[in-house]
Amino acid sequence: MGHGATAMSSMSPRSPSARPSDRVGVPAVVPATVLGLAWLLGLGWLLGLGPMGGARAADPDFGRDVRPILARHCFACHGPDAHDRRAGLRLDERSGALGATPSGARAIVPGDPAASALVQRIRAADADAVMPPPETNRPLGDAEKELLERWIAAGAPYTLPWALESPRRPAAAGEPGWIDALLEERLLAEGIEPVAEADAVTLVRRLHFDLLGLPPDPADVAAYLADTRPDRYERLVDALLASPRHAERMASWWLDLVRWADTVGYHGDQDHASSPYRDWVIAAFLADLPFDRFTALQIAGDLLEPAAGEHPDDRLLASAYHRLLQTTHEGGLQLAEYRAIYQADRVRNFSAVWLGATLGCAQCHDHKYDPFTARDFYALGAFFADIDDEKHLEKGGFGERNLNALPTFRGPEMALVGPFDRPEAARLDERVARLEADLAAAADADAESAARRAELEEARRLRAALTRPLMVTSALDVPRPTRLLARGDWMDEAGPLVEPAVPAALGRIDAPGRASRADLARWLTAPRRDGGVGELTARVTANRLWALCFGAGPCRSLADFGAQGEPPDHPALLDGLALDLIDGGWSVRRLLRTIVTSRAYRRASDAPAATVARDPDNRLLARQGRWRLPAEGVRDTALAVSGLLVERLGGESARPYQPAGYYRHLNFPQREYAAHDDDRQWRRGLYVHWQRMFLHPQLLAFDAPNREECTAERARSNTPRAALVLLNDPTFVEAARKLAERVLREPGDDAGRIGALWRRAVSREPDAAERALLAGLLERARRDYAADPAAAGALVATGIAPRDGALDPAETAAWTALARAVLNLHETFARY
Amino acid sequence: MDMPRRTFLGRAGISLGAAALGGLLARGRAQAAPHHAPAADAVIFVCLAGGPSHLETFDPKPRLAALDGQDMPASVTAGRPIAQLQGARLVCLGPRVGFTRHGASGLAVSDHFPRLGALADRLAIVRSMVSEQINHDPAHTFMNCGTALSGRPSMGAWVTYGLGSAADDLPGFVVMTSKLGRNPQPIASRQWHSGFLPGRFQGVELATTGDPLHYVARPAGVSAAGQRDLVDAVAALERHRLERLDDPELATRIAQYELAFRMQTSVPALADLAGETAGTLALYGAEPGKATIGTNCLMARRLVERGVRFVQLYHSDWDHHNGIDGFMAEICPPTDRAVAGLIADLARRGLLERTLVIVGGEFGRTPMAQANKGPVGRDHHCAGFSMVLAGGGIRGGIAHGATDDLGYDAVEEVVHVRDLHATMLHLLGLDHARLTFPFQGLDARLTGVLPARVVRGILA
Repeated sequence: MGHGATAMSSMSPRSPSARPSDRVGVPAVVPATVLGLAWLLGLGWLLGLGPMGGARAADPDFGRDVRPILARHCFACHGPDAHDRRAGLRLDERSGALGATPSGARAIVPGDPAASALVQRIRAADADAVMPPPETNRPLGDAEKELLERWIAAGAPYTLPWALESPRRPAAAGEPGWIDALLEERLLAEGIEPVAEADAVTLVRRLHFDLLGLPPDPADVAAYLADTRPDRYERLVDALLASPRHAERMASWWLDLVRWADTVGYHGDQDHASSPYRDWVIAAFLADLPFDRFTALQIAGDLLEPAAGEHPDDRLLASAYHRLLQTTHEGGLQLAEYRAIYQADRVRNFSAVWLGATLGCAQCHDHKYDPFTARDFYALGAFFADIDDEKHLEKGGFGERNLNALPTFRGPEMALVGPFDRPEAARLDERVARLEADLAAAADADAESAARRAELEEARRLRAALTRPLMVTSALDVPRPTRLLARGDWMDEAGPLVEPAVPAALGRIDAPGRASRADLARWLTAPRRDGGVGELTARVTANRLWALCFGAGPCRSLADFGAQGEPPDHPALLDGLALDLIDGGWSVRRLLRTIVTSRAYRRASDAPAATVARDPDNRLLARQGRWRLPAEGVRDTALAVSGLLVERLGGESARPYQPAGYYRHLNFPQREYAAHDDDRQWRRGLYVHWQRMFLHPQLLAFDAPNREECTAERARSNTPRAALVLLNDPTFVEAARKLAERVLREPGDDAGRIGALWRRAVSREPDAAERALLAGLLERARRDYAADPAAAGALVATGIAPRDGALDPAETAAWTALARAVLNLHETFARY
Repeated sequence: MDMPRRTFLGRAGISLGAAALGGLLARGRAQAAPHHAPAADAVIFVCLAGGPSHLETFDPKPRLAALDGQDMPASVTAGRPIAQLQGARLVCLGPRVGFTRHGASGLAVSDHFPRLGALADRLAIVRSMVSEQINHDPAHTFMNCGTALSGRPSMGAWVTYGLGSAADDLPGFVVMTSKLGRNPQPIASRQWHSGFLPGRFQGVELATTGDPLHYVARPAGVSAAGQRDLVDAVAALERHRLERLDDPELATRIAQYELAFRMQTSVPALADLAGETAGTLALYGAEPGKATIGTNCLMARRLVERGVRFVQLYHSDWDHHNGIDGFMAEICPPTDRAVAGLIADLARRGLLERTLVIVGGEFGRTPMAQANKGPVGRDHHCAGFSMVLAGGGIRGGIAHGATDDLGYDAVEEVVHVRDLHATMLHLLGLDHARLTFPFQGLDARLTGVLPARVVRGILA
């Protein structure tokens, strides 16, 4: 009991809390559930908290205002880490902060700032006495000191770290428009006028970029504009969400999180067998596989029973999640060291992806800011101690097999048919069987039999080509023992053995015997009342889904829901989204639909200067966000506009043009990059061969991560190197030339074609000034290429896409100059 | 509350430590402010990748010579991490080359490096380096990023983040590589990645052959004038849009296109060595068009001349598990010539006093013989090895610290990799404890969370 009341205390500062339970770390046992029930009963809500969950501006709110200050300035020495705690004082828990320290001082005396040692020390003039110590370079500002005093004066109420509190259901949650009701109430309170809906063309582009990662075709835009039905917007949303292109776009997002790549990442950076997992992720989004099942299959697919409708291979395809980490077989490595490295990698990724927690910080010591101990780190790691993946670390682990090969071998592997190849495989299986039967029936080797035999050979070859290896998870009969490593030192074998357990602050798994990955998976998405952290997982996920549609989450720290992250700007919105995700059966598609059909989503990204000045960072969402597309979006947009884009789903990774010698530093074995000379050249960025050590420079220039670690949020840089890619990378020059041909094949004069070119790139009509600039460029390019046919020939020969022989090379070259111009515009690659 | 500032920084997509906040606000100015007066403005880090033996380069060990062929004392090696010699009998291998004292200082350098030895009075040799990683890939990552964890910024990225670049039309952090042509250990671009720092601080690899920079060459069939016309047309279209739409990204983009266009001229000009005299080429042993250590050392001087902040050269092929005599005889002379040439050339041009030159590998090699792969060699060793420093702020003619008599453990004035980092940053005017970036709840820094110190003993 008591946490509901704690929240009340932040509203009723004059009744200082005497409750003993203001603990950051929810004790492992029962209270989490009981407290959760209190929240589920909506105690805080009923007691009159406002819809944004915050107190009046005059009252410092612990979670929003106070904890960030304490975390930044104090927790390093007075926080959860018992090992480095100074003066026996911890400020992250109320009991610790209020009790007497070994020296007899009381850091915080509720209601009495003057008697509080904390206030005396932060106000001290003496450099030896003042807190934080000057050498930490973290001095408190006057406003911060004053705020801490006001908070103590108000009774020093504590609340749980926000992410550990159960979500509270906003009043209107579930009703149509609940998102806007929440956001607009806040805007109204702040006196900010939300901007109007964006124009139709902008909305169509925005939806296409956000949901598909591709621009709309001019015909799509025209059809939308011509559609007079009142629900044309919702119809478009539904069509886009059902598109395979949408599944690909979502897969890109997920692959960043789970750090999927085509190569092992360390030392020789050899290719490893991972592409079928990528295809399973796409298929999962295409089927809108509920996120709880999506999660469970990845964590414990090898241990679970199949669900109705699931293909028998799906569980193993998903289980490859545990094999995606960076691995090595570098000569001279220490098995024990890499066992520790792999374990830590898995804990970091798992906690970042599903819990929004930086549990990796607890590898060497208790977490400095969040209630995670080193024991929690190793206990979580123990869940993964049954994963059979060490043979490549052992000399001769796979016999004489040469691991310095492409691909290398990271057994256990399994030969599988990718999800999108199944129909074709079934067709071929049938054909093989039929031909075999025919041949068995035919007695002698006549000409017909020979032809059939050849046909059979061909069918078998095609069938075999559909089979791809995949690293899968296979559980050891006896899990490796897991020890708590003091300071993370893998050579120290004195630490205690630990059993699998979830971080104590997050609850406990009550399993008979050793808890398994299946238990862990269930815990992740089970509601709190059933002993799980489903609400937390839902918050982490919903926050990121919102960020895909607005550029930032209701909580800006997409990867860190802890004390060093930012508390959410919109706790109620985040809670509502998380509960919506759960209530909707964990349907990602359904939640995305709710988000993109909101008024907030449909607002213009352009706003009056005064509105921007009031909220430059757009935390209150009076307007939409705007940003440059991610790396894959940049590539895909150029390919789509040019007509080159290949829409096939899944398969082996593709190798687009790449600067010569880019892999020259790779060895074991050395390798030459051979760009694909067929239509794999124009596959979406999602499918580009992801070489961790040397990510394709085209993707790198636009901030694609090398996928060594979890990436919850990509940077968006704006650099000369990115400009050089758009200007000179053959992929973009080839796209420009095909775009030029496309435009030239359209009937009409120069003016009409300039319009067509422009519409293809930015979905709108050029204005007079833009027309004049392009016409001028065309005139000069025409003159130059007419005078230099060799140059024209060279330009239109860029890339392997066949040239349209019906078109004049000089004219194509001149229009290629124009097409290059539009494929270098910010607007072409920006989502507004 | 400091909300407005955080808001502003959040808008920029990043949050910044104090030093680099100045860098962001001063975007457009050539240089951000250091913490204190710097002794050097640029760094050239020559990484002898693979782990050169300290025992045949900069750390003379007569006692080891006396024990040659005898068992290594178990007291030294018991319980210590070991790489390819796991399970093997451990036998002492005496130094395979003589050492000569040089200059007024009498600093001893191996006879593989006579030219560098002749510059002894300019060199500070740290003989007590320690790393925590014993295999190449993680050891490089540790040497560059201060941790073996992936996803962290490299030192060149930290330095350009802290100080910006003084070059107008070149990246601030440039990487070049060379190898002798055997079968060297791989190098990952992680070694010059910006990690969690903004991407513009990422190291840019320049090539000696082919296009010096990816995508710097115009497409076939596009003339310089045509490219200029295109860039101008794009700029005009962007400016036109900017008049109607307040979008700061557009303004930045216009500037970046102009810079990109200038790089299409400046980078090839930088890489063109035609203006260098035959004497200079010979001084380095540079061969224009060939990616040798000589050519790259000469390029490093040209980069520093143009204001590039951090130049990192990787010269691979120092992983001598076997054949250490033959391979050292092959790789040392060109390296000696190139590095000595670089220091001498910088000195005669007045650049050395503002340029910090650092030479060394990701670790050293065992005092024990490795004999299971043909002619004798040495295994990986990170408990004690050497690093050479010269130039801005460095006291010349000194040896700092020492390994034990066997050359196994660094025992005096031990210099951890993070101490080296702290010292390098100090010389550049940066306090390693204040050069921070918020990441996963920490004010992350190159030197990490454990104590690091500036190695005062090698400062001028």
